[in-house]
Amino acid sequence: MTSDNSDIMILAGAVTAEAMGDRLGKLVLDTPEAGETAGFVLLDTFDQAVRKAGSVLIETGGQLQLMQPGGVVRTQAAKRSGNFVADFADGPVKDALSGLEPLRSLLVVGRGELRQSAAVAKDDEDKTHARVRFSTLVPDGAGKKVTLVSLQPLRGYEKSFEALGSRVQDVSKGPEMEVRDLYARLFPDTLDYDPKPDVGMTGGETAFQAATDIMRAYLAVARRNEDGTIADHDTEFLHDYRVALRKIRSVISLFRGVFSDAETARLKTVFSDLMAPTGRLRDLDVYLLEKDTYFDLLPETLHDGLTAMFAQFAKERNAVQKQVARRLRSATYARQMAALQAEFDGATGLEPGPAADRLAHDYACELIWKRYRKVCKIARAIDDTTPDEDVHELRIHCKKLRYLMEFFAPLFPAADIKALIKPLKVLQDNLGLFNDYSVQQASLQDFLDSRSGVRKQDVTIAKSIGALIAILHRRQLEERARVVSSFAHFDSEDVQLAFRAMFKESEV
Amino acid sequence: MRIIACYSNKGGVGKTATSVNLAYAAAAAGLKTLICDLDPQGASSFYFRVKPSKKLVEDKFFKDEQKFIKAIRGSDFDNLDVLPANMTFRDFDIFLSRMKNSQSRLKKALKAVDNDYDLIVLDCSPNISALSESVFKAAELIVVPVIPTTLSERTLEQLLDFFKDHGLDRRKLAPFFSMVQSSKKLHTETMERLRAEYGKLFLDTALPFSADVEKMGVHRAPVGTFAATRPAGKAYAGLWQDLQDRLGLKAGK
Repeated sequence: MTSDNSDIMILAGAVTAEAMGDRLGKLVLDTPEAGETAGFVLLDTFDQAVRKAGSVLIETGGQLQLMQPGGVVRTQAAKRSGNFVADFADGPVKDALSGLEPLRSLLVVGRGELRQSAAVAKDDEDKTHARVRFSTLVPDGAGKKVTLVSLQPLRGYEKSFEALGSRVQDVSKGPEMEVRDLYARLFPDTLDYDPKPDVGMTGGETAFQAATDIMRAYLAVARRNEDGTIADHDTEFLHDYRVALRKIRSVISLFRGVFSDAETARLKTVFSDLMAPTGRLRDLDVYLLEKDTYFDLLPETLHDGLTAMFAQFAKERNAVQKQVARRLRSATYARQMAALQAEFDGATGLEPGPAADRLAHDYACELIWKRYRKVCKIARAIDDTTPDEDVHELRIHCKKLRYLMEFFAPLFPAADIKALIKPLKVLQDNLGLFNDYSVQQASLQDFLDSRSGVRKQDVTIAKSIGALIAILHRRQLEERARVVSSFAHFDSEDVQLAFRAMFKESEV
Repeated sequence: MRIIACYSNKGGVGKTATSVNLAYAAAAAGLKTLICDLDPQGASSFYFRVKPSKKLVEDKFFKDEQKFIKAIRGSDFDNLDVLPANMTFRDFDIFLSRMKNSQSRLKKALKAVDNDYDLIVLDCSPNISALSESVFKAAELIVVPVIPTTLSERTLEQLLDFFKDHGLDRRKLAPFFSMVQSSKKLHTETMERLRAEYGKLFLDTALPFSADVEKMGVHRAPVGTFAATRPAGKAYAGLWQDLQDRLGLKAGK
């Protein structure tokens, strides 16, 4: 009855409806829309979330077509105000894509020509029993053709549907393909993207090897995000870029003794200098992403000030984005990154420290156990009267513990590590919000101080920011009040025993 | 799942055309719709080119869920299925109560085939019988085409009396003016009088007398497929809007 029941097949090569013939047993095969050719654009997010969901999203002839696993085909007008799913007009494609990360924009994977043809199986009353549509994608460039076949049954005509399906099998050359192989065939240059790449560890490597492996993997992640940051497709490129660089910096500072003191100091400076020019842009991105939340926090009477403030932020963001893009495009930057890659690749240039040759597993246990003890020591001393500085210190140690556990995760049973990270994450979320509210208050205050003019707009902004700071302060207090109980949850006997078993007693 | 019926105790008023075009409009608006052809003279199956199922002649049909499921045919249109029953059923009330009971085997069988239907449209036979009584009980709304003539006025009164005598809820009735010729003074005067007499009972949209409705027999398809922008096409769309409002359905769903 509906297109929801249709089946989809992916065939290598070109197949058209004419090949189906004009009869199917007692039924006539009509080919109503044969031979239409139009341009198509294949769309997906940078991390290929559409493909990973087993779907194919193409835009052609003013329509978006989403083919989903199980053969569901959804169609809606392609007209949209931007390339985020939220920018789409309401419709079945938007509904089906609502699970995608909202901060990721849809990008062009590739383009080409689309040839569509269809065959309709009808009886002597001219009643349709089943339909089949062939969409042959002919990619621009070096890729190969693919035909997407969607078979649509109508309720009560199952036999005709089966007959049509086996006719398609007869005329198709070669085996069926999987959605996961589709991009590789159409656009062989397309690269997959994983912000958390697998860093293969065997347990037999040295701490030095483990460190350079992780640094090399994350430097590659950072580099993959450069083009998207320059093009400014969405805020996730810069975010992932910075997270990758921060992870490298953490390896450098957390893996004590793996590199010589001089090497550690040099690398720390290099990566801090790499990150610094992007900090302001990320801050502004975060403010702008939080825009709706801020508006929701204040009554409408105070919205004028927010509107003015966000207009300032947007203006500044544009300027800062251009600076960052210019920097990432520069020859100096390219040379620097290439040099770092070469250094990490060979790892010959890096000067080892006293712990360089230790076994990664033993080294990991020692670092994690020490950090865990440190976290517990600080946290157990915290009560409702402890100064905020100590809470901030706890947050930083938790973050370091989390990084260490994630870096060395491949050396431990996945389920066990996951079970320990989960309660840690709850504590971190609490501490993170506490910190966010505190940072937001400070930066709003900075913004206010920077424009203490007497213009009318400044007064309006000051009113709104004043109200906002009061609310954020209250929220910060609420988070602060939760810290003791969050830690108690993390400090359960089970978690204690598990930490000891995994990181203390396995150390021989 | 909502159930509406299309009914008239007088023939030749455009009842089947109304069922077919309303079902089509509902499906086009995204509702999964099943139209049941319960009129032995009716042609809703004919308009959808669906052949009546021979297997359904037996009276015990409605006791057998699997037969019911198998008899449903997909129309040529998305979201729209047809039950080409084409006869009267003594056990229809059992069928309807099962349709409404989520625990019934019928309901489960329907769900097993596909998602549940959002809307069921019953195209009823033009007499008052045991079957129509159970339809009146089961349906939320009974759409009644009324040609604005004295004779049709009397027929509507008979239907209202029947509802009163049998303790049925008259607010379920949703009459509308059908085959209206605005050049005829009789038509305009009758419409004015009936709207005054019955107040908000009548739906707002009036369906004009139109050759396009006659042409459904030639095209064997709903008016919306070949004359959507002409007066009859627009009127059926308007009628569906009126029903959506009365059923409290949001536009589009």
